[in-house]
Amino acid sequence: MISAAQDTGVYVYGVLAPDAPVPSDLETVEHDGLAALVREVPLDEFGEDVLPAHLNDREWLERHVRAHDDVLEAAAAAATVVPFRFGVICHDRSDVARLLGEHAELLRRDLVRVRGCEELGVKVWYDEPGATAPDEAPSGGRAYLERRRDDRRRALELAAERESLVADAHDRLARCAVASTVNRPQPKELSGRDEQMLLNAAYLVRHGDTRLAREVASLHAEHAPNGYAFELTGPWPPYNFVGEDA
Amino acid sequence: MSARDLARNGNGGGPAQLADVLERVLDKGIVIAGDIQINLLDIELLTIRLRLLIASADKAREMGIDWWEGDPFLSRRAGNDGLEDRLKRLEAAAGLDAGESKDES
Repeated sequence: MISAAQDTGVYVYGVLAPDAPVPSDLETVEHDGLAALVREVPLDEFGEDVLPAHLNDREWLERHVRAHDDVLEAAAAAATVVPFRFGVICHDRSDVARLLGEHAELLRRDLVRVRGCEELGVKVWYDEPGATAPDEAPSGGRAYLERRRDDRRRALELAAERESLVADAHDRLARCAVASTVNRPQPKELSGRDEQMLLNAAYLVRHGDTRLAREVASLHAEHAPNGYAFELTGPWPPYNFVGEDA
Repeated sequence: MSARDLARNGNGGGPAQLADVLERVLDKGIVIAGDIQINLLDIELLTIRLRLLIASADKAREMGIDWWEGDPFLSRRAGNDGLEDRLKRLEAAAGLDAGESKDES
């Protein structure tokens, strides 16, 4: 090689206001009234040549994705933070400063938007009762078809019922929040649970505001007897409320 | 009781579900291209279904992928069979079969 190979990069977790407290094992790169929360990382872990393999290594990915979240969670507990998506890596600190300059407008807007807030996640699960098996064998073609038709109508009614219950619940929760967003329910393969996920939403709430958490508890109490479970997660750094689409 | 305490209780007191962390850290947050190119859509982990989840449904549709709306297992099997057929056709086109038969003759 002609030049000495660079063996570290600078991983960017997110952005803070410049006067914000910084977790002890991290550094910041300040530019234009913004502070990037960074850590030097070895390129044998995060280099372009090894990343595709690492990203497909379940253990590696889980470890680093959780670490990314832990850093942001610690920062968010002490100050307003605009979280970055996983894997923003620069060659050096001056490149980080350039990045801050290029995206200053968006980053400043988001710092204002999420100031003093945290994200809470709410998932609604539905434990589908076992399909009702016919008590007796259908006595004839006509009876069979009628039963099929009734079953189908009942299934549609139940689905509409679930949909409206979830929509009402989301409305009630959104009224306790500064902002809200609804994401695609996680498929069972990802959630790892047998119940069906009906709602996968995120809410931006002010620090210390317990209204949303209490509303989740009362929704759960209301609907648990009918097979619904309301689950609160977080507080998270405001991942769902930053960026171009937020 | 703070929102944090309530959330912890709701979460069973354990660490966050990996699915929730993946969803946020890989699909949300500010997207800025650093110097090192990273393509999160290359992640094959947790099966292709996770890739489809972390790409938004719209993005996946743009890529022409929409079979998750049907039965994932059936669709996946069909996809694999299709791949095998394609592989065989490519091998045939590359003359691999012809090469083998020449050795035998």
